[in-house]
Amino acid sequence: MRRPLVRAWMLVAPVMVFLAVTFLFPLLEIFVLSVSGTNHWADAYVEFFTTDFYNIILLRTFGIAFFVTVFCLLLAYPLAYVIVRVGGGLGFGLLLIVAMSFWTSFLVRIFAWLVILGNRGPVVGVLEWFAPGDAPEVLFTRFSVVIGLVHGMIPFMVMAIYASMRKIDPNNLRAAASLGATPLQGFRHVFLPLSLPGVVNGCTLVFIICAGFYVTPVLLGGAQDQMIAGLIGQQIEELLEWEAASAMAMVLLFAILVLYALYNRFVGLDKLWG
Amino acid sequence: MKSLIVIAVCVGAFIAAPLFIVVPMSFSNAPSFQFPPPGYWLGYYEQYFTDYHWTIPTANSFIIATATMLLTMALVVPAAFGLARNRFFGRSLVNYLIMAPLMVPHIVVALAYYLFFGPLHLTGTHLGVILAHTCLSVPVAFLIVTATLKGFDRNLERAAMSLGAGPMATFFYVTLPVLRPGFLVGALFAFLHSFDETTVAIFIAGGTAATLPRKMFEAIRLESDPVIAVVSTLLLGLVLAGTVISVFVRQRNEKKATMYAD
Amino acid sequence: MAKITNSSSITPIRRRTFIKSTAAVAGLIAAPNIIRPAWAKGETLYINTWGGVWTKSATEAFIAPFSKETGIEVKTLSPVSFAKLKAQVRTGKYEWDATTQGIPDCARALRENLLEPVGKVVDPAKLSPGAINYNGIKSHALGTALTYRKDKFPNGGPQSWADFWDVEKFPGNRSMYNNASRVLPAALQADGVPRDKLYPLDLDRAFRKLDEIKPHIKVWWKQGSQSEQLLRDGEVDMIQMWNGRAANVQSQGVDAEIVWNGAEILMVNWIVVRGTPRADLAWRYIQSAHQAERQATFASLMKYGPANPKAFEYIDEKLAKTLPTYPDNAKVAYTPDPDWTGANMGEMVKRFNRWLAS
Repeated sequence: MRRPLVRAWMLVAPVMVFLAVTFLFPLLEIFVLSVSGTNHWADAYVEFFTTDFYNIILLRTFGIAFFVTVFCLLLAYPLAYVIVRVGGGLGFGLLLIVAMSFWTSFLVRIFAWLVILGNRGPVVGVLEWFAPGDAPEVLFTRFSVVIGLVHGMIPFMVMAIYASMRKIDPNNLRAAASLGATPLQGFRHVFLPLSLPGVVNGCTLVFIICAGFYVTPVLLGGAQDQMIAGLIGQQIEELLEWEAASAMAMVLLFAILVLYALYNRFVGLDKLWG
Repeated sequence: MKSLIVIAVCVGAFIAAPLFIVVPMSFSNAPSFQFPPPGYWLGYYEQYFTDYHWTIPTANSFIIATATMLLTMALVVPAAFGLARNRFFGRSLVNYLIMAPLMVPHIVVALAYYLFFGPLHLTGTHLGVILAHTCLSVPVAFLIVTATLKGFDRNLERAAMSLGAGPMATFFYVTLPVLRPGFLVGALFAFLHSFDETTVAIFIAGGTAATLPRKMFEAIRLESDPVIAVVSTLLLGLVLAGTVISVFVRQRNEKKATMYAD
Repeated sequence: MAKITNSSSITPIRRRTFIKSTAAVAGLIAAPNIIRPAWAKGETLYINTWGGVWTKSATEAFIAPFSKETGIEVKTLSPVSFAKLKAQVRTGKYEWDATTQGIPDCARALRENLLEPVGKVVDPAKLSPGAINYNGIKSHALGTALTYRKDKFPNGGPQSWADFWDVEKFPGNRSMYNNASRVLPAALQADGVPRDKLYPLDLDRAFRKLDEIKPHIKVWWKQGSQSEQLLRDGEVDMIQMWNGRAANVQSQGVDAEIVWNGAEILMVNWIVVRGTPRADLAWRYIQSAHQAERQATFASLMKYGPANPKAFEYIDEKLAKTLPTYPDNAKVAYTPDPDWTGANMGEMVKRFNRWLAS
């Protein structure tokens, strides 16, 4: 009984030591930095929670993440449904598109949106055609941030929903139909509930990734569309306020860990990554 | 159902269409992002392949991703064996720790490395970026390798042992060949995870260790550099090629499987 | 005797060719060598540049001639960032050795002890009088001016910061530099503060004035190339930008006008980051960049006024008129107070960033 235990630990030890030194320790370091205010240990946190500016950014972050999650869900669900239920060449083709987008660098996708939404791009061109000289701003607005994030996150949502829909036995629907259920009733009472775990997974993933996302808001947003990750980046790069940056990072991390804990409580963390 | 198909195709178009706008842009001769392009040339391709501001980050990305892949696999494979084949006290804790880098937002990790690597003189070095990327790749590779191991039928090993093979021979002649595809996929994911990683690289991969995503980020944010369209097109081409190859491989495997079944 | 000289001169050449060809073969075999041939030798200087046309101009005017003359390889890295300067000194890891900063930022850097003192390799006799200040050597004068698209204002465009603020009389998209020390003086001038009474800046008054214009600023640009793109692509009709970048846009065929009235004229220093192991190399480069001819070349490419007065011997009247240092331009512009700005920069930047993001 002892021998296998020792052997297991020896196999596991390298990765444990590696992560402890190069992952846990640096995180611990920023935690310590965040609670080492000059006057009071919690200076940075007090400032964070009592300054309107920071509260606005925090609310904005979760607001944007929420809307992006909802939009992703609305677009991804029908897509995943068609992939699974229609299948064939169309389903496979759509699945390939999603996989391709998933594997394409975020920066490529962001660049594409910069071109599309830019002042000399197709969208503004069409808008100018309808309302010459009066076309609304699209790039560097809340709109461009949300559309960039939705486009970036949608593969995660589709994959999560697709994974749970694929497990649904079509016989369940046939059984419902044979018992006299209309297709809509069959969907509502049989298919939808069975696909919900995928929806929950997708929403959790997308919301969490969005809330901490750096690149998209920084490149596609204006000064008033920055989210907390962008603010942390600015603290590191421009202001060198590492204490404040650490406190913000801890607040973000805490919020996200709470979400993970809730997910773990109701669903089980091992199901999130499948 | 018809209207649903229409919706799904529209969403598919929304996902795919924007990607391909980068292709005509890469041949544009405009100094800024203008669509449709006013004229076409190959000048920005030449710049990408000759300007050291682009060639060094490209080479760096390949080197760093390769090193990350090797280090990740060296750490993950033993750990996956240890966790999959033994029940021991603290096992779930180990599991959580290995998955933890996947749970922490990259900006937080970036800040942590920025402060941690500074005094160690690791910021802006290849080693620093490799260490950071390995941390982030470990959970990804671990998930895949573990899934492969779970699907492995241990009776194969027992059969080999009963036929007189030693533990080493069993591992190299039975276990490894069966698991190799899964390991390769895990390694590939680790490679791609590093190759694509942007946020941490932005903050710690400065100067001579700059990676391609970092350079692309700066090309967009700082310079509006049209070479970004060339890089985007090349990366898109790679993804396309990868997708096509994976489809072929899968079809071939399925054919093989049906042949054996017959 | 002749024989000896002969043989001894051949051997090193042979050896060198041998080493070279070996190195070439080794380079082909060892892939990582592709990325680190330069600094392995230790004779590479890293210069921090402002990107785009600036990098191109500085390479042509200063860097290429220096490399040619000394055989030292120089690599350029963008962008310029004060924070990076600070981070490098703090961590002791140097990505670049020399950079350029406006004098107020040099004053700030000096207060924070981030600058290498002017090196012993620099011969003051070879510089123009007064070229050394704030641990740096003067390079050029840069204008930050209101620039507008003439084609968008056929009946006359904005001529002052007050006009820039007048969104009724001059409708159109606007952009300003995301930089507190440039934006605040513009706001005060728009509010009626005379050019010579700007410093010390009345921050409360400036931010009150800024509140008025904030909804009309489409983009707060951060990098020079970005400001060019905004003006060139017509994303904005008027913009606060560097005159060299505006000149570059003009040269691309855009009908833009630079308004010198109320512009900032800023002397820019070459400086060396404290503690870098290549400080001597950096100072050699900086000294060479002060030569009159090179300064004139830079002025002709970038339209910034040379700090070395002798450079004007190589500059004709037509070019001189476009420089910030031209008397007609300079007399309606202002120069910032380096010491006040340097001392208050941190506070200004912090307050400005918060104002901007909320």
